[in-house]
Amino acid sequence: MKWLELFSVAGATLVSAVTVVVLYALGVRLTAIAGDIRNSPPSWTRPLAYGCFAVCGCAILYGLYLIIPYFHK
Amino acid sequence: MVALVISLALFFDFTNGFHDTANAMATPIATGAIKPKTAVALAAVLNLVGAFLSTEVAKTVSGGIIKEGSDGVQITPDIIFAGLMGAILWNMITWLKGLPSSSSHALFGGLIGAAIAGIGIHSINFESLLQKVILPAVFAPIIAGGVAYLCTRLAYALTSRHDPETGDKLTQKRGGFRTGQVFTSSLVALAHGTNDAQKTMGIITLVLIAAGTQPAGSDPQWWVITACALAIAIGTYAGGWRIIRTMGSGLTEVKPAQGFSAETSTAAAILASSHLGFALSTTQVASGSVIGSGMGRRGTTVRWGTAGRIAIGWLFTLPAAGIVGALTAMLVQTGVVGVVIAAVAGTAAVAYMFLRSRKSHVGHHNAVQIEEVGQAVQFRKKKSAAKAIKNGGVQR
Repeated sequence: MKWLELFSVAGATLVSAVTVVVLYALGVRLTAIAGDIRNSPPSWTRPLAYGCFAVCGCAILYGLYLIIPYFHK
Repeated sequence: MVALVISLALFFDFTNGFHDTANAMATPIATGAIKPKTAVALAAVLNLVGAFLSTEVAKTVSGGIIKEGSDGVQITPDIIFAGLMGAILWNMITWLKGLPSSSSHALFGGLIGAAIAGIGIHSINFESLLQKVILPAVFAPIIAGGVAYLCTRLAYALTSRHDPETGDKLTQKRGGFRTGQVFTSSLVALAHGTNDAQKTMGIITLVLIAAGTQPAGSDPQWWVITACALAIAIGTYAGGWRIIRTMGSGLTEVKPAQGFSAETSTAAAILASSHLGFALSTTQVASGSVIGSGMGRRGTTVRWGTAGRIAIGWLFTLPAAGIVGALTAMLVQTGVVGVVIAAVAGTAAVAYMFLRSRKSHVGHHNAVQIEEVGQAVQFRKKKSAAKAIKNGGVQR
């Protein structure tokens, strides 16, 4: 029985999904802060939000790399 | 017989496509991230592209569940025919009931039933069956559901905004998750195309090799690849709206951040499982994610009755497809007349279920009721109603 593989699949799923969701949620949060009109937000929030989205974009690209067999034959 | 098996395999590919549209597109449709028709079109294109990306063919039809090969039994086109029949009928029944269920497990069930009836029980590798079908069916929803639960909690915790002085709730501004949903669900659709179209290509290629029209160990021919890619794409575009409804609003109400968490968990689980050597069913992963994310968001409930019906559907997948496969295998063994009877009966059953489905039509216009203020409501009233009337569609 391939228990080791099962656990590594579970672990990889957990780590990758949590990383992407946390980063994306941070991005959404920072965008929301940057968009606040009432109290003027710090200037670094918007670039940082874009940074978070960029890392998520990289995760998507890595997903594409994994899906397309041409890249890792 | 070869031509019959090929057309049946392509039809199976079609049912596979429309059965699995929901895995990728149910949650973005439910949150209004993508409009229903755009979503299925996107999924169809990605499935088409995906099918062309990966044309590597498995060496065995059943992936080792039936003892195939030089030292085992020979899987004949007859058995593949019977197995496909079982899988297609089960796919149609579950679609009619709106249940997401794994197409590959249905195919395994059909093949197992056909092999037991046609060859004998010794042809089945039970350890492989346990490892490839039964254990994944237990663990896929647990893994995906657990991860989706955690992700949903995190997403909501990170984006919940309160006024620091008064403690009042601020505008939460979680709409940004909709954009993310488009990407994660596209990834799921593409992964589906690379995996599932390939299964049908493998079956057709192995049948052609068995018939002697193609040298053993060769790649699928271009027309096989094209036909499979088109079949799965058309199937996806047809959209299993009943299953989309179950996944998108039947199990739980889906909101953008929750949908994003669910889709990310699904994509992560599918990619991890296909690269770390423990195959999980896309459908089971996706259903688990939706349930898990529903448990993770406060203020929503998971409809456990629906979840239970889905679980019962999974329990019956193997035996039900197996029984149909076995009956078909027995019919086919009697000769040409048996093959004709099986083909006619199968076609009649599919046609009957299709006609049954017309009675309570579920289409893009009424698959998921989007509960969003403003444009979504207007969209339902104006566009979809006008379209339904124009097409003469029956609205519920």
